[in-house]
Amino acid sequence: MSLAWFARRLMLMVYTVIVVSMLVFAITQILPADAAQSLLGENATPEVLAALRTRLGLGDPAWLQYGRWARHVFTGDFGISMRTSLPVGPEMLAALSRSLLLAVSAILVTLAIAVPLGVVAALRQGRLTDTGVSLIAYLGVSLPEFVTATLLALLLADTWHWLPATGYVSPLEDFGDGIRHLALPVLTVSLILVAHVMRMMRSETLDVLKSDYIRAARLKGLPERTVVFRHALRNALLPVVTIIALDVGYLLGGIIVIEEIFAIPGIGRALMVAITTRDLPSIQAGALIMAATYAVTNTLADMAYAFLDPRIRYD
Amino acid sequence: MTELFIRLMRKPQGFVGIVLLALIAAACLFGPALAPYAPEKIDFLGRFRAPGWQNWLGADQFGRDILSRLMVGARSTVPLAFIATFVGSAAGATIGVGSAYLGGRTDEAIMRTIDAVMAIPGLLMALLLVSTLGNGAGNAVIAIAVAFAPGMARVTRSAALNVRNQDYVKAAIARGEGAPWIIFREMLPNVMAPIVIESTIRVSFAVMLFATLSFLGVGAQPPASEWGLMVADARQHMHQAPWGLIAPSAAIALTAIAFNLVGDGLRDALNPKDER
Amino acid sequence: MLSVTRRLFLAGTAISLAGLPRIALAEAPKRGGVLRMSVDQAASVIHPMLARVNPEYLVTELLYSNLTRLKPDMTVEPDLAMSWEPNATLTEWTFKLRPGVTFHDGSPLTADDVVATINAILDPKTASPGRTNVGPIKEVAAVDPLTVKFTLAGAYADLPVALTYLNARIVPAKVIAGDLASLSTTANGTGPFKLASYEPDRRIVVERNPAYYDPARPYLDRIELLVYPDRTAEASAMISGEIDLLLTTAPGEYERLAKADGVKALRTPSGQFLNINLGCDQKPFNDVRVRQALALVVDREATVGFVAGGYGTPGNDTPLSSAYHFYKNIPLKKPDIATAKKLLADAGYPNGIDLTLVASDRPSTRTQLGVAVREMAAAAGFRINVQTMPHATYLDQVWKKGNFYVGFYNMQPTADAVFKLLYTSDAAWNETHWNNADFDAVINAARVETDEAKRTALYAKAQDMMNAEVPSVISAFFDLLAAQRSYVEGYALHPRGSVFRLDMASLGAGAPKRA
Repeated sequence: MSLAWFARRLMLMVYTVIVVSMLVFAITQILPADAAQSLLGENATPEVLAALRTRLGLGDPAWLQYGRWARHVFTGDFGISMRTSLPVGPEMLAALSRSLLLAVSAILVTLAIAVPLGVVAALRQGRLTDTGVSLIAYLGVSLPEFVTATLLALLLADTWHWLPATGYVSPLEDFGDGIRHLALPVLTVSLILVAHVMRMMRSETLDVLKSDYIRAARLKGLPERTVVFRHALRNALLPVVTIIALDVGYLLGGIIVIEEIFAIPGIGRALMVAITTRDLPSIQAGALIMAATYAVTNTLADMAYAFLDPRIRYD
Repeated sequence: MTELFIRLMRKPQGFVGIVLLALIAAACLFGPALAPYAPEKIDFLGRFRAPGWQNWLGADQFGRDILSRLMVGARSTVPLAFIATFVGSAAGATIGVGSAYLGGRTDEAIMRTIDAVMAIPGLLMALLLVSTLGNGAGNAVIAIAVAFAPGMARVTRSAALNVRNQDYVKAAIARGEGAPWIIFREMLPNVMAPIVIESTIRVSFAVMLFATLSFLGVGAQPPASEWGLMVADARQHMHQAPWGLIAPSAAIALTAIAFNLVGDGLRDALNPKDER
Repeated sequence: MLSVTRRLFLAGTAISLAGLPRIALAEAPKRGGVLRMSVDQAASVIHPMLARVNPEYLVTELLYSNLTRLKPDMTVEPDLAMSWEPNATLTEWTFKLRPGVTFHDGSPLTADDVVATINAILDPKTASPGRTNVGPIKEVAAVDPLTVKFTLAGAYADLPVALTYLNARIVPAKVIAGDLASLSTTANGTGPFKLASYEPDRRIVVERNPAYYDPARPYLDRIELLVYPDRTAEASAMISGEIDLLLTTAPGEYERLAKADGVKALRTPSGQFLNINLGCDQKPFNDVRVRQALALVVDREATVGFVAGGYGTPGNDTPLSSAYHFYKNIPLKKPDIATAKKLLADAGYPNGIDLTLVASDRPSTRTQLGVAVREMAAAAGFRINVQTMPHATYLDQVWKKGNFYVGFYNMQPTADAVFKLLYTSDAAWNETHWNNADFDAVINAARVETDEAKRTALYAKAQDMMNAEVPSVISAFFDLLAAQRSYVEGYALHPRGSVFRLDMASLGAGAPKRA
């Protein structure tokens, strides 16, 4: 991968971020229920509302407001939340860190479960294991996240008392407790991801197992284990990397529901609150951060792709 | 078409999928006529009644019969998800095929922009749009359609790129056919297969996205019998009346599974050489 | 003539002279411990003058003090003011402040701080909800460093109660003069706790204020406030011991909590209510017969079942519930579809009438009431379409403007407060536009009446008038529902719904040791 490739990717990321910020800004401009009224509530007199609108610059034309916002973001100033009067940047980034913790844990758990399961299902294609695994996969993608979350919480927390039902404890404060509290949300997200990844893993492994060089390896007399692990797996993992990169997009979205139910103060929750309270700076910052995360993850995925398959050339 | 249908039915997943779809279609068409009770009839004394001869699937917190609400709710849930997917696919397909046709720099510019828009997660995009447009099922449909369009554009474009390089397209260009003619008469019909497969699977996502929006309070509004709304309401009483939660969840799951199966089945039927 | 009132107020002084409010417990509360409390939405605003929702009232109550405080029986007790006295005509009130009180930063509390605070609240530029709720104050002045004199625009018997208003918490004059807005992110009050950390969407931590004016209180070392947006998950957290106290819960969860081990479910009737506001200055509700017809289709006990899960009391189209002091027990209206139909026909709607009822999505009980009323009213020919909308849009487009929408109100400290807030022509939130001059006269007379019997009679007349003319349909009052772990002591639900008195709370035997 050359420097030029990196430069191009960087420009693409910047472009993505700009497009997203413009789009979100445009949408927020059309939001009904003006921010000033939302902020001050039922008790503001018309004069006070007008004063606040002027102070927040809500009366200026859209492009002017956007330009002002963009300029500030460039210097790292995401503005002040209209709701809490606290700076938006630090709050959002703290929220992001918690969501990332959840997301990364979920991806790791998913890989640990889905890769072996997918391979096993492929190896035992058509048999009971395969069908059973496929069935679970189907269920995983057929239930909305909030249903899966509810059912898992009902079972593991309320009925069997294995895990705490909700809440967030920072692992930095109390590692053991933090992990215990993360377990249920991570499990819920993983269940859905496992379904996706496993099916992909299975079909990719099936493809690879039928390919010529695998046949050649078998004919060479290599033990089955070597065939599977060294040759088949490496090639089957490639599209899985793509799937995970795509799933980050789903993760960032679905995380809104998970965080709502499990009371995790992550970026999904923050965006949800921002949207319902029409807190424009927070909405813009949150959407921007999500888009940037998505762009970075995609780039990382492409790098992983190239690493796994040296035949792929980027120029 | 009939040949396709037969091939579809031959596979077990296609068969099960079609059967389920038929059931769901029946519910949509005949649900209100066959439902034992009016879906909004409140029965104060029958609140949280367990499943039994009076209410086959039980009653909810207002005493409304869950089975009736499911049957009538099919009309609120499935066709709307269908329409959202259809509109999103149509919009996305047009963009995708158009972009593939235009090719070169324009194609790249359009696709990069589409990629950028896809950086906004679908649920977030839907939430933003629904907040702007207002709550309600109709606006949720628009929001979901817009959220789906970029993804469909991507899929269509890859398929269209394939087609564009085919001989019959090159021949049409050489003949001097106009761009719209080429797009709609030559390219689109041949791109249909991947579009249809992808759309079918997406309908299941639309059903679930719709339900999630209702859960978050911005989709269908009470007293609609939309399945997602039923689950959201039932969650609050799930310890008193778990059947209120299970019935609509199962309905959503079965619908999603049905469309998934049919989509997979179509993929197999349309590509008979790929044996999986 | 003033003897009754004099006695009551002297009683107020007597308690303060005796020292500080005593709590009648078998043994002294244990000192120490950390209380984990959950709220259903973030306390986004910790500025005491701008707080608007219960979690925010809670936080500001922990950090600041008012001049007076409401006891659970809705009577007043001293807080920063030790005693108070009106003049003969109830137009001037003199409050004596407690000596030796300091703000969190160490500066002493003086009358100047009180004056500056009240003036800031009354200033329209502050946009405080308290502006119209602290009473008809014309002028406030410091007589000496520990005495404040209020001059009112008219005679008003309830000033001490009005000053318990949730936004009337005392802040330092120098902050008001300097940067009032700084109170949105920092706190400098005289309350029992100090702000230790503030991450509104995640966790707010307050610590004991060692300089609180009562050295015995608060008993708790620390309180942690956590946000649990989902009621079901919150209840699960309580049952598993993650949280010690939750602010409020829904009827569905209440039943589960009541059955759980180690959990004590809390319930108290209150004056919190949902109503259906009818725009009395426009068609069709300008015709009293239409309003009365609507009132006759509603099965009030059933409404309690629907919107309050049975945890409530039926309403009779007046905003006073049995939790209010001047409540009159009028026989409950029963559904009468035949009369309702006839009234509608007389009013010119023999074939029924089509209406759109707007319900905001917060709280969700608004829509439930709308749906229930829709079903009940259909029998008499009302064809109602329930339209839900986001709360922000409702505030912007419908509240105080629409002519048919669902309203939701917390209990107010006095009958006068609730009538003046909603139903007189000069009400701060005159949503029904009933503008009934006779009613106004009754309320204004009651406001300055000091004879208890006469006051009761006046408020009884006011309730009869509302019951007869139905400016809004009020069919149900909510019981407040909450829950705590059994080891939490000294906490009781306050009918007002927004008063918490956590300085009285302590952790008893069985409480977990938390870092």
